[in-house]
Amino acid sequence: MSSRITLKTKGKSVKGAKDSEKSRADCLKEWSTWAMKKAKVITHYGFIPLVIIIGMNSDPKPQLHQLLSPV
Amino acid sequence: MAGLVPPGTTVKPDASTAKPKEEEKVDYMNLPCPIPYEEIHREALMSLKPELFEGLRFDFTKGLNQKFSLSHSVIMGPTEIPSQSTETIKIPTAHYEFGANYIDPKLMLIGRVLTDGRLNARVKCDLSDNLSLKANAQLTNEPHMSHGMINFDYKSAPGLTYPPPPPPPPKHKMQGKDYRTQFQFGNGALFGASYIQNVSPHLSLGGEVFWAGQHRKSGIGYAARYENDKMVATGQVASTGMVALSYVQKLSEKVSLATDLMYNYMSRDVTSSVGYDYILRQCRLRGKIDSNGCAAAYLEERLNMGLNFILSAEIDHRKKDYKFGFGLTVG
Repeated sequence: MSSRITLKTKGKSVKGAKDSEKSRADCLKEWSTWAMKKAKVITHYGFIPLVIIIGMNSDPKPQLHQLLSPV
Repeated sequence: MAGLVPPGTTVKPDASTAKPKEEEKVDYMNLPCPIPYEEIHREALMSLKPELFEGLRFDFTKGLNQKFSLSHSVIMGPTEIPSQSTETIKIPTAHYEFGANYIDPKLMLIGRVLTDGRLNARVKCDLSDNLSLKANAQLTNEPHMSHGMINFDYKSAPGLTYPPPPPPPPKHKMQGKDYRTQFQFGNGALFGASYIQNVSPHLSLGGEVFWAGQHRKSGIGYAARYENDKMVATGQVASTGMVALSYVQKLSEKVSLATDLMYNYMSRDVTSSVGYDYILRQCRLRGKIDSNGCAAAYLEERLNMGLNFILSAEIDHRKKDYKFGFGLTVG
């Protein structure tokens, strides 16, 4: 009986070590996937405003009404 | 008195005719930088594959500044849907596309957004004289339909000056100014690398490898390009089964003829096309005919300063698909 118990605990501890290793790689994958998703949303909404801001601040500085009017 | 006359005057004409012959001698240590690997078929693509379209196209580009401009485009026309049957199914669609461009010698940003939320973004940045970064992305609201790719290009800089060598050590042979390398990373675990080198003033050779993790594909390819003032011939082979050869002959300043052959040795599929490109003062006319029974033509006419009229026609005899388009580009 005692031998069975020790065997069980040994099995659990080995599993525990494998789980923590797996979860490190999984954590890294999860974080990188989360980061890529956020980067995609930021680029999707922010790229054109970024180009407009950089353009409006370049020399010679254009006026705001030139941005909106078709002339 | 005789001393006033420079002694070399009678010798000069001979010297000037002798000089060009000396300059023609090739300096293999100073070859120019080759064109980028992905543009190796550039002349043939420009002549044989114009941007054909169907329907109406109206482009208005408004420059606010030397570097910054906004563009508005309206595109109305049928869009093809892939269908199982042999008939092509077209659905009429209309888009408005807004674009912003910032073009600087060191940084270029181009963004285009459509009414359905699709974004097309391109960035090119020169991090230093030799190294440049390019990125492009097509982002959509649908999940898993977005693509992105980033490239790092290293080219030998044109302005490199060697320190004046007493005797040039053989090491200098490795520091050729005449190559380009590129590394690419894309989504879906896509990795690629390419290298192209000028081996003589007219011939450049290159190779590439790529690995696509998502599709479990990898491949290697080689390319060669021979050009002189009158013609350009290129050849490219890839382990994905593709062989592409092209030849462009420049008959005069205004006329050039091009032909290309694409052969897939895995699927035994061959396509060849022949085309012409007339670049005249007020217009540019390109036409081509294909071995798939497809004839196409594209005309860009300059009506006025900044006003261009475009006509596009494509007739596919095999599929009985006729596409005609017209458009106007302002600015």
